[in-house]
Amino acid sequence: MFRIENLNFSYNNRNENSLNDININIKEGEVILLCGESGCGKTTLTRILNGLIPNFFTGDLYGKAFLNDTLVSNLPIYKLAEHIGSVFQNPKTQFFNVDTTSELVFGCENLGLEENEIKKRIDIVVNDFDIENLLDNNLFKLSGGEKQKIACASVSAVFPEVLVLDEPSSNLDSQSSWQFEEIIKKWKEQKKTVIIAEHKLFFLPDVVDRVIFLENGKISWQWSIDEFKGVNHRKLGLRQLNLEKLSPKRNEYYLSNNEFLELKNFNFKYGKRQVLNIDYLKIPKNEIIAIIGRNGAGKSTFANCLCGLKRSCKGELIYDNQVLKRKDRLKKTYIVMQDVNHQLFSESVIDEVLLSMDEENIGLAEHILTDLNLIHLKDVHPMALSGGEKQRVAIASAIASGKEILIFDEPTSGLDLKNMMSVSENLRFLQSVGVSSFIITHDYELIMETCSHILHMEDGEIIDSYKINEEKLKKFFLRN
Amino acid sequence: MELGLNNNQKTFFNLDPRTKIFLLVILSFMVFNDAPLYISGILVLIPFICLFCSNHKKTAIIYILVYVLAKYIQICLLPTATGLVSFILIAFSYTSSRMLPIILMGYYTLVSTKVSEFIASMERSGVPKDITIPVSVVFRYIPSVYEEIKSITNAMKMRGFGLNFKSLRNPLKMVEFYMIPILISAVKTSDDLSAASLTRGFSSPKKRTHLVDAKFNIFDYLVIIVSLFGFGIYAFYFLRSVLSI
Amino acid sequence: MNERLNVKDLITVGIFSVILIVLIFIFGMLGYIPILMLTLPILAALICGIPYMLFLTRVNKFGMVTLMGLILGIVMFLSGHTWVPILVFTLCAFVADCILKMGNYSSLKNSIISHGVFILGIMGNMLPFFILRDYYMSSMKASMGAGYVNTIAPFLTNETLIVLCILTVICGMISAYIGKIVLKKHFEKAGIA
Repeated sequence: MFRIENLNFSYNNRNENSLNDININIKEGEVILLCGESGCGKTTLTRILNGLIPNFFTGDLYGKAFLNDTLVSNLPIYKLAEHIGSVFQNPKTQFFNVDTTSELVFGCENLGLEENEIKKRIDIVVNDFDIENLLDNNLFKLSGGEKQKIACASVSAVFPEVLVLDEPSSNLDSQSSWQFEEIIKKWKEQKKTVIIAEHKLFFLPDVVDRVIFLENGKISWQWSIDEFKGVNHRKLGLRQLNLEKLSPKRNEYYLSNNEFLELKNFNFKYGKRQVLNIDYLKIPKNEIIAIIGRNGAGKSTFANCLCGLKRSCKGELIYDNQVLKRKDRLKKTYIVMQDVNHQLFSESVIDEVLLSMDEENIGLAEHILTDLNLIHLKDVHPMALSGGEKQRVAIASAIASGKEILIFDEPTSGLDLKNMMSVSENLRFLQSVGVSSFIITHDYELIMETCSHILHMEDGEIIDSYKINEEKLKKFFLRN
Repeated sequence: MELGLNNNQKTFFNLDPRTKIFLLVILSFMVFNDAPLYISGILVLIPFICLFCSNHKKTAIIYILVYVLAKYIQICLLPTATGLVSFILIAFSYTSSRMLPIILMGYYTLVSTKVSEFIASMERSGVPKDITIPVSVVFRYIPSVYEEIKSITNAMKMRGFGLNFKSLRNPLKMVEFYMIPILISAVKTSDDLSAASLTRGFSSPKKRTHLVDAKFNIFDYLVIIVSLFGFGIYAFYFLRSVLSI
Repeated sequence: MNERLNVKDLITVGIFSVILIVLIFIFGMLGYIPILMLTLPILAALICGIPYMLFLTRVNKFGMVTLMGLILGIVMFLSGHTWVPILVFTLCAFVADCILKMGNYSSLKNSIISHGVFILGIMGNMLPFFILRDYYMSSMKASMGAGYVNTIAPFLTNETLIVLCILTVICGMISAYIGKIVLKKHFEKAGIA
């Protein structure tokens, strides 16, 4: 199906090669997993396969890539589109339409298929993916999992022989990830070739045939899936393949004299729909608390209400024997957003921290930056940093403004092991300086690594609040 | 505001995008002139009818009430009002009676048209890709920008920049704070979106096909005839008064 | 130089049009206060320089700026600003595009001037009031007396229109210059300009 020979590639204005001497032979109907640390070249490799290199991203390309014995570089990208379907990481930026049905037919329309043919194909795809209920909906109102389903379905509607997926699951909750496995299985049944680049591995062992491990742009290992199951993933910097193997690292609460936070009357309505309904909740203070629940369970609303961002939520937080109303909470709490870009405003890291202080204190700011291992970057523009570094800058600015409760909105989505571990370190550091952290997350590995208490939300309510408990968590995260 | 998204509420009353554009053009003329109600009546009613028949009853009723109020002020209250009060009333009544119909027509066009429908009918009318692509991107991207603005506002509130002294002290800084993240994500989105649409064959030179059928139905003809009739009366009145100056 | 616009260019035009539209509409809210309406073009000119300059870093062929003007005009039309903006905006954008072309899409001076001209297009939103001013005034005189008309007449003269245009162009150029500084300060450092 695909054959790549001695391929080298470097992006324009970057010195080192992003891909080095790549040789792969992919057979028809194979499901291939590309893995490796961030920046290892897996995304670049997917771009070679779907033709975005050299059609969109430019750079120096040597070597040959063949699709069914035709040279990929000889085909214009719209020809490739007939054979190769691509799904990307961020569902927000890969849609061209606002409603689901238009998005489903978009690819077919581009290729100029007959109307009747399009209708036929849509029926097939809708049936295959079981998305009847999502038709004629606003794409922006769907959950991450539903968006990604639509993305897959709309790519399938073109009937491509190859599917190239670039970190498709990074925004999915665990059950949606399992559903994603079903989608791949379906493709596999249809004898399609699937190439998937991923960090999150747990939902893949039953569908993947072959694993390709990249390191610094080179293929350093190739395994069959059975061999791969026996490999030490940690050592290679990979996420866990088998979640069963994980166990909680923080069985005890951090503080033995348990102090508590109390929440009273946190209610919020969106129109007529009650999206948050918490009458009373008591949780340990100064702990790292995971908030779990499906997409759309009200986790983000909860975070916004806790921070005092929703005017109509009249709840009270009892903290340190004080009753904190909305405006007081706004001063004590901070959300580290999933898209950190939205909360960095200044032209250098140090300015960003100073901005948060009521009175600028350079000494203190530098001290905070040193603690978070950012001091060497203090004059760099925040937007020029890596994702993990940006997150640390946001944390630094929160500490600088004296916040005592931090909420992280999916801090590890799309991160590799190394970066996840550094998030975990940051969280522990925050705990050591007396901050209580809440983490909205779908990342089982992160919870096992860092958290000591779990809040489980469904339909706007806390259905369970417990000290970390493997059995309960497994019920939620593992396939059911 | 949501643009062209209410498509799960199908109604019997559906206009072709081309009809809507035609109505917008005709209603545009009303801005230039302020005719008595018995002359402009038909044109004033068109946006009302369109909104009323398509799940926007509330908007339609509010519109007609405001319009009547404006006209009432113009006819009955103005001659007796003086000073600042009259100034405000004039401003209100004149702006409303001229602008409201076209603004509401614009509103109707935006909320009742699926983007794909709009593009399909533009492409069928021979509008080149160079125009249809950016226009569809515009509709596609506006909701994202709206969400981004919300999220940045939240981020600023948490940093103590709400509607308070700290932020009013330096309005230029505020503009910068909003602008930088939005622009950065605009650049990123335009790259991602281009890449995604290329992989889906968007650059294909073949003529695009459309699943949505854009055909005129009975309502289209009806509305066009009525509006032409209304416009005829209006134009007659308008020309006569312009010429008589 | 005279290549056709490709998909990427067209999408870029769309995205940046949205940014300008959002800015213009936010400040356009002020337009509902009658006299402040006259300051809308100036405010818009002052604010749009930053996105415009960033847009120009992605423009290297003729047509993108003209197209953006056209798109803005179409959106104005669709949102109930009459069809006049389509003509005015496209024309201004076309002139702006020509100015850019003369500077080979790299001259800073030409970029700044071109924004001044480009943003003038926003006058299209209020031109209807000026074109038929005489008629507008006479009908007002009939219904509300000379007093009111005399108060607002000074705001609606041809001179005002000209002054407004000149101010808009100047503010547009100033804002483009600010845009250039912001570009240096933020985007070049962040590596995206």
